[in-house]
Amino acid sequence: MDTQFLVSLVIILATFALYIGIAVYNQAKATSDFYVAGRGVHPVFNGMAIGADWMSAASFIGMAGTIMLLGYDGLAYIMGWTGGYLLLTFLLAPQLRKYGRYTVPEFIGDRFDSHTARVIAALSTMIISFTYSIGQLSGSGVVIGRLLEVDTKVGTMIGVVLIAIYAALGGMKGITWTQVAQYIILIIAYLIPVIFMSLQITGNPLPWLSYGKIVAEIGELDRQLGVSQYFVPFTNGTKWQMLALTFSLMAGTAGLPHVIVRFYTVSTMKNARWSGAWALLFIGLLYLSAPAYAAFSRFILMTQVAGSKITELPAWTASWINTGKLAMIDANGDGIIQWIEMKISNDIVVMATPEIANLGVFVIGLVAAGAMAAALSTAGGLLIAISSAFAHDIYYRVFNPQATDEKRLKVGRITIVVATLLAGLTALNPPGVITQIVAWAFALASSTFFPILFLGVWWKRANTKGAIAGMLVGLLTALSYILAAKYGGFRIAGITDTGAGVFGATASFIAIIVVSLFTAAPPKHLQDEVTNLHYPEQMVYKDGEVWLDEHVG
Amino acid sequence: MKKIAKETADAYFKERVRSIVIYLIIWALVSYFVIAFAESFSKFTVNGFPFHYFMGDQGSVITFIILLFVNAVVNDKIDKKYGIDEKHNERLSQGKVMDH
Repeated sequence: MDTQFLVSLVIILATFALYIGIAVYNQAKATSDFYVAGRGVHPVFNGMAIGADWMSAASFIGMAGTIMLLGYDGLAYIMGWTGGYLLLTFLLAPQLRKYGRYTVPEFIGDRFDSHTARVIAALSTMIISFTYSIGQLSGSGVVIGRLLEVDTKVGTMIGVVLIAIYAALGGMKGITWTQVAQYIILIIAYLIPVIFMSLQITGNPLPWLSYGKIVAEIGELDRQLGVSQYFVPFTNGTKWQMLALTFSLMAGTAGLPHVIVRFYTVSTMKNARWSGAWALLFIGLLYLSAPAYAAFSRFILMTQVAGSKITELPAWTASWINTGKLAMIDANGDGIIQWIEMKISNDIVVMATPEIANLGVFVIGLVAAGAMAAALSTAGGLLIAISSAFAHDIYYRVFNPQATDEKRLKVGRITIVVATLLAGLTALNPPGVITQIVAWAFALASSTFFPILFLGVWWKRANTKGAIAGMLVGLLTALSYILAAKYGGFRIAGITDTGAGVFGATASFIAIIVVSLFTAAPPKHLQDEVTNLHYPEQMVYKDGEVWLDEHVG
Repeated sequence: MKKIAKETADAYFKERVRSIVIYLIIWALVSYFVIAFAESFSKFTVNGFPFHYFMGDQGSVITFIILLFVNAVVNDKIDKKYGIDEKHNERLSQGKVMDH
C-alpha cells in the first residue's frame, strides 16, 4: 500500500512539474496574451488543447461509472458530449472567429451594442463556469482522497489549493501548450487500463472491437440475477429524458464560453473548422473507450468480486470504503456479497477499476495522474473564463475603461482565487455526482448561450431587447427546472434536472424571436455585420453588396 | 476590392447552408432517431452489440468525427471554387482582431 502511495505521488508530481514547467516557460507577459494565446495555434495542437480543456473530471472520472450504472441510458453522455461539436463547428465557431472578439460576452455585447446584454452574458458565463468547476473540484477530491486514504472532503480541500495556485500561475499562452501535454497524459492514462482489461478478459488488445461480447455476457448475467439487462433502453428514465439530456448536452457544448474561447486562438475560419474536426477526433478516442471501460469494470465486479465472502474482501475495498464512496453491506446476512449489495458511486469506477483488475502500481498511479490532468486542465480553462468575464467584460468594459493592463491582470487573478475557494466550499458537499453537476452547467449553457449565439450569428433581425429577454428567460427557466426537479420531484414527460436544457433553450428561442419581432429592428450597420459573418474573411458584405478583397500584402 | 455579383455571393451562401443542413440531418438520424426508436433497433446486433447500443457508443461518435472532417474538406473546396485565398484570409483576420 505504501509503494502504491509513493508511485502515485511521484507520477502526479512529475506530471505537475511538467505542466508548470511549460506554463512558466511560456509565461504570459501582456494581457492580450493572458486571454488568448498568441493567435495562430496550428489546428492539430489546438484540437488537442480543446480536447484537454473539454475532457474534464466528468469525462475522465465520472462518465464510465455513469454508463456502468445506467447502462444504455448513460450513453446520452457519449452522444451529447461529442455531437455538440457539430453544432459548434458548423454553426458558430467560424462565424465567431470572423467577428474577432476575445470572449463570448464581448461578442454578445458588441453584436447587440448593449452593456446590459454584455453584463448578463458575463454573469451567465460566471454562473455556468462556476457550476462546472464544482464538478472538477469534487473530482480532484475523489482522486486525492483515495491517494491519501482520507475522506473525499479533505481531498477536495487539497485540490482547491492546488488548482488556485496552478490557475493563477500561468496565462493562456502557457495554458495552450500545457493543455497539449495534459491531453497526451490523460489519453494515455485512460487507454492503458482499458487495453489491459481487454487483454485480460477477452485476449484482444483492441477494446473497441472486443467488448461487444462482454456487453452481451453482462446482459446474460443480469438476466440470471433478475435485474434489468445492461443494454435494454430506458430502464433508468424515460425515452424523453434521454432525448432531452442528449439535446441539453449537445446544445450546451455549443454554448460553453470556455470552449468557444478556444476558437479565438486559431487564425481563420478555415482553421476553426479544422480545429473542431481534430478536437473531436482526439476527444473521440476517450469517448469511444469509456463504454468499454464501463463494460469491463462491470464484468469484473460481477464475476470476480460479487460472490466473495464478506470476511475475505480484497484489500482495495477497504481504502475505497474509507473515502465514503463505496459501501458493501451484506443485506441478506448470508456472509456473501452479491452484486446488488454493492453500492458504488459513479465517481469511483474509473479510479477503482485498475485496482480491482490488479493492473499494478504503475497503471494505478498513471490513472490518478490522468484524472488530475483532466480536472486541472478543465478547471484552468473555466477559471480563465470566469476571470475574463469579470475582469475584462464587467470591470474593464463597463466600470473602468481606463484600467491599466496591470490592474486588469490583478483583478483577473483575484477573481480566480475567490472563484476557486467558493467552488471548493460548495464541492465539500457536492450536490450530486460529478456527471450530474456538470450536466447542470450544460443545461444552463444550452439555455442561455446557445439560442442567442445561434440567432445572433444567423438572424440579423435579432435585436438587443430580444437578446436580453432570451438570455434571462433561458437562464431562469433552466435554473428553476433544475431546482424544481432536483428538490421538488417535478417532472414533465419524466425529464429530470439533467435534461432541463431542452426547456430553457426552447423558452429562450421563443423569447428572442417574439421580443425581437415586436420591437424595432437593429440598426443597419449591426445587421450588415451579421450578414458579413456568412462569408469567408475575404468576402466583405457592405450595403447589400458582397466585395472580394484582393488587396495583396 | 472587387464587387461580386449578387448571384455568385448567394450561390456561395446557399452551397454552404445546403451542406450544413445535410450534415445536421445525418447527425440527427444517428443520434436522436436511434434513441427514439431504440426498442425496434435492438432486434439485430453488430459485432456483439444490440444495434441501438452500438449506435449510442460507437456508431454515432464515428459518424460525428467523419462529418466534421468532411465539412472541413468540402468547405475548403467551396472556398477554392469561389477564389478564396487562405493566405489572404490570414492577413485579413490579423487586422480584424480587437487590440487591447
